[in-house]
Order: sequence, then structure tokens, then C-alpha cells
Amino acid sequence: MTDFSWSQLLAMDWVEIGEAGLDTLIMLSVSLVFTVLLGLPLGILLYLSAPGQLRARPRLYASLSLLVNVLRSLPFVILLIVLIPFTLLLVGTSIGVAGAIVPLVVGAVPFYARLVENVLREVDRGVIEASQAMGACLSQIIFKVLLPESLPGLIGAATVTAVALVSYTAMSGVIGGGGLGDLAVRYGYQRFQTEVMVVTVALLLMLVQLLQSAGDALVRRFRFD
Amino acid sequence: MARWIDIMIEVQSLRKTFSHGGRQQVALDDVSLCIEEGGIFGIIGRSGAGKSTLIRCLNLLERPDSGSICLGGQELMTLSESALQARRQRIGMVFQHFNLLRSRTVAANVRFPLELAGTLSAQQMDARVAELLALVGLTAHSGKYPAQLSGGQKQRVGIARALANQPDLLLCDEATSALDPETTDSILALLADINRQLRLTIVLITHDMRVIRQLCDQVAVIDHGKVVEAGPVLDVFLQPQHSVTRSLLAETGLGHGVLPASWRERIAGPLLRLTFVGEPTLEPVLDKVGREAGLRVNLLSGTLSEIKGTPFGQLLVAVMASTVEVARLPEIFAREGVRCEVL
Ligand SMILES: Nc1ncnc2c1ncn2[C@@H]1O[C@H](COP(=O)(O)OP(=O)(O)OP(=O)(O)O)[C@@H](O)[C@H]1O
Ligand SMILES: [Mg+2]
Repeated sequence: MTDFSWSQLLAMDWVEIGEAGLDTLIMLSVSLVFTVLLGLPLGILLYLSAPGQLRARPRLYASLSLLVNVLRSLPFVILLIVLIPFTLLLVGTSIGVAGAIVPLVVGAVPFYARLVENVLREVDRGVIEASQAMGACLSQIIFKVLLPESLPGLIGAATVTAVALVSYTAMSGVIGGGGLGDLAVRYGYQRFQTEVMVVTVALLLMLVQLLQSAGDALVRRFRFD
Repeated sequence: MARWIDIMIEVQSLRKTFSHGGRQQVALDDVSLCIEEGGIFGIIGRSGAGKSTLIRCLNLLERPDSGSICLGGQELMTLSESALQARRQRIGMVFQHFNLLRSRTVAANVRFPLELAGTLSAQQMDARVAELLALVGLTAHSGKYPAQLSGGQKQRVGIARALANQPDLLLCDEATSALDPETTDSILALLADINRQLRLTIVLITHDMRVIRQLCDQVAVIDHGKVVEAGPVLDVFLQPQHSVTRSLLAETGLGHGVLPASWRERIAGPLLRLTFVGEPTLEPVLDKVGREAGLRVNLLSGTLSEIKGTPFGQLLVAVMASTVEVARLPEIFAREGVRCEVL
């Protein structure tokens, strides 16, 4: 272990750490937005098409479910590499922050969609039935019942997904994605500069804590009582 | 056929089978019913008899395997999905477990069906909500969430919500089963009020004869998916034909006086069952006939009650002495407006 002292802390390349921090924030926020935009509809589709649900399509459900499971069981590092051609096609580059966002979204969408499906299943069957009895059509059930009734759960699921994304971003260094995690791996693991690793890990921890408490605060804000 | 009362619902030969684990469970077996407009129709039966399945067929929440459901002259089974949704907007439904949206306040829950229908402007909706909350006595609670309400208050919200789109039919599936007796009474009184004020047909399900007695005009008894008895409440209470009806009545203390078999031989004389309905209930008929016919009786059991404001009573007596033939007694009692059966 290298000794840790204030002089070392000052000697560190704070500009690089700052840039890495910014990269992480960009990767996180952009991929979170796309994850929710894509994962929410996919989760709703999973929920609706499951056997016994409002629009039961057992075959569709089985195929979607398999796809989600495949994507979720692949280690993220492998996903990063497998997706390079696809990423190149989609954003024109497979490296850097832009190149990392595609695999991040592809990795997180099935995760969030599955969480959404589970959250929606928690909505009281009786409430859905009551809305059907009142003459609600499917889109009214989705937008006026399912989503509002499960809002706290959906926010909670987004929080869990955001935290998972933070750890995914750390691996994006493999494709030169940049960010704090990448810095920690490069300096701390490959060059034995423990102090950089400690600082970046501390920053990542702060980020996760921040995300978690922001998510919790939102859930509390939208709880119904 | 000339009828002075219009038919609201005509159900014919409904069959519904559920299959679980490869086994078939017949929930409704050839059910036919006629429900009059403007009345309160009760459906009673034991747990698992098929009551919920039947009432859920009336707005097609449950689709029967076969049969027909005619609502105000319109066959429901052949409606398209959108036509059915439009029709459902004018059928209110109240649930045992309230089924309110927990993300919405009381006012917003009542507003919900208005939003679904989309026929009123925002101001008109607010006005209608205020009117409905006043009707069910919840004006002071309009900003609360369901989690902050008592069971009775939640059911009032459920009722206001069910009435929002001015339905011509209100379906109640065990609307009071989750409530204590006092709250039950207040909800039943509210339903009776609504039926009177709005001339709204109500179909309700219950397993409690007291609810039928307090509220209903007509009743159907259902057992193992079949209607085993149906008719005006008074008739069914006073002349129950089916054993399930009798045991449901007996459990609530509203049954016929029935003597334990072993007692019969220990009691001398023929037995009479006297049924009083309306005015005679409150008059000393037995005393009067007793003087006329030299009748002396041994009073064995009696009930006195009220069905929707009509007093009725039933006495079981053994005749100890009579100056007239026992066979003539029914005629003599009939003159006083009392039904007498020699058992
Ligand atoms: N969705 C379903 N799937 C399978 N079987 C069902 C379903 N709904 C009802 N049944 C069966 O149909 C029969 C009638 O049920 P129903 O709910 O209509 O009874 P009920 O008279 O309302 O009883 P309770 O008083 O307990 O509510 C029962 O045997 C029940 O097990
Ligand atoms: Mg039931």
C-alpha cells in the first residue's frame, strides 16, 4: 500500500478527475433518460401481455421475456463488446462517452422493464376492474390508473436502475468510455496509484448516495397519504 | 304480456364455467332472472354460490359461456368493445373492498368516471363532484386520500363515484360486508335514499338476510350456480320454499318457527302457523279470534319484524281448545287479514 498524504492529494490530476466526473454524469443522465423512455413501454408491454393480464398474449410474452432474460444474463463487459457494430451503426462511434451510452441503455432497459413489470403487478386488481366497470378503455387504464397508481414504485425502480448504471459506467473504460470508474481502474488497478482510486471511489459512492436519497425523497413526495 | 312495471334486466340461461387445473367448476348453471326497473333486487346465497360471478356478468366483467343479458332492451353480449365501454359508463358498480384509486383524493376519485366519459368541461365536472360529495355527506373530506378514510367513508366515495355519470343501474357486490353493523346501516340507508331519489335500479349481492330485509323489493336465492328461489321479499321471507332459503333465514333469526322433531309429540293439539302482514300485525287479532271461536292456544314461537317499512309477524301456536273445527280456522283468520296454515 502506498502511503496516503495531503501532498499526494494535492499532486493529483484534479482536472482529469473533474473531466471523468463530468463524463460519468453525462453517461448516467443520458442513458437513464433513454432507459426510462424505452424500458417503461417495454415493461408495460410485458405486464399487459403476460398470461391472465389485460391483453394476454402468451407467445409474445414468452419471447419478450426470453429476450429480457438473455440481455440481463449477459455480463455487461460482454455486452459492451458484442454491441460494438450496433453502436457504430447507431451513433457513428463505438468509443468514448457517446459509444458507451448505447450499451449502457441496452444493458439497463431490460433491467428497468422487468422492474416496471413487477411494480405494475402490484397495482390492485380490484382497482383495474373497477375502472373497467366504469368503462375505461385500455389507454385510459394505462395512463389514468396503472401509471399514477404505481408512480412511487416506478420512481423507486428508476433509482435502483440509476445506481446499477453507475456501476455499469465503471466498465465502459474497456471501450475507452471514460468516467470515474474507468479512472479508478486505470490508476488504482493498473498503475497502483491508490490515492486516485480512493478519491474516485469516494466520488462514486457520493454519487450513489445522492441518487438514492434523491430517489427516496421523490418516492416520499409521491406517496399517497 | 301487459306489465305496468318495465323490465330493466332480463337474463336468460346464463352459464359460466371456470376451469382450473384441468377441472371444470360450474359457477352459473342456467340462470334466468328478470329485474324490474326502479326497484332494489337482492341476490343472496352462500359463499361460492356464484353471486359475484352473476353480478359481474351484468356488466360483462365476466363473460358468460352462453346465455343472454338484455339491459334496457339492449343485448350486451353482442356489443362491440367500444359500445360496451360506453354502456358501462352508465352502470355504476360498488365493491366490497371499495377499489378506490389510492393516488387520487376523494374528489379526484369521484371525478375519475367523469374524466373517462369526457363529456363535461372542467368546471362542470367540479360542480358535479361537489354535488355528489354533498349527496354522500363527504364534502368535508374532499381533499383526503383513501388511506386517510374509514371503511364507511371509503364506501361513500365508492357510491358517489358509481353515481357520477348518472347511471340507470347500480350494481353492489357485498357493499357492506367489510363494514361494522352501524356503518352498514348508514350505507344501506344511503342506498335506499338513492333508489328513492334517483329512481335508480339497484342490484345487490349479500349473504346477509338482514340486508335483503332492510333494503330489497325482490330477492333471488342462488345455490351452487342455480337460482333456487325468487320473488318479492315478503313472499320469500314468509313462505320460503327452498332449504337454503330457510337456513339463511334461520341463521339471522328471521326463520319460521320450526319445532325440534322431538318436541312435536310432547305438544298436544294441532299446530297453526299464523302470518301477519301490515296492519293486522299491530292489532290484537289472536285475542279477537280466540273469543269468537273459543280458541285457546299454546304460543310456541314468534317473530316480529319489518320488511322495507312493512311490519310482519309470524306465530307458531298449538291449539288446545276450539269451539269450531280446526279446518275452519284459516277462513276465520283470513277475515281478519291473517294467513293461517294448519300444519
Ligand atoms: N376467476 C375464477 N377462476 C376460477 N374459479 C372461479 C373464478 N371466480 C369464481 N370462481 C369459482 O366460481 C364459484 C362461484 O364464485 P363466486 O365468486 O361467484 O361466489 P360468491 O357467491 O360470490 O361467493 P362469496 O360469497 O364467497 O363471494 C366458486 O366456486 C369459485 O371458486
Ligand atoms: Mg362474492
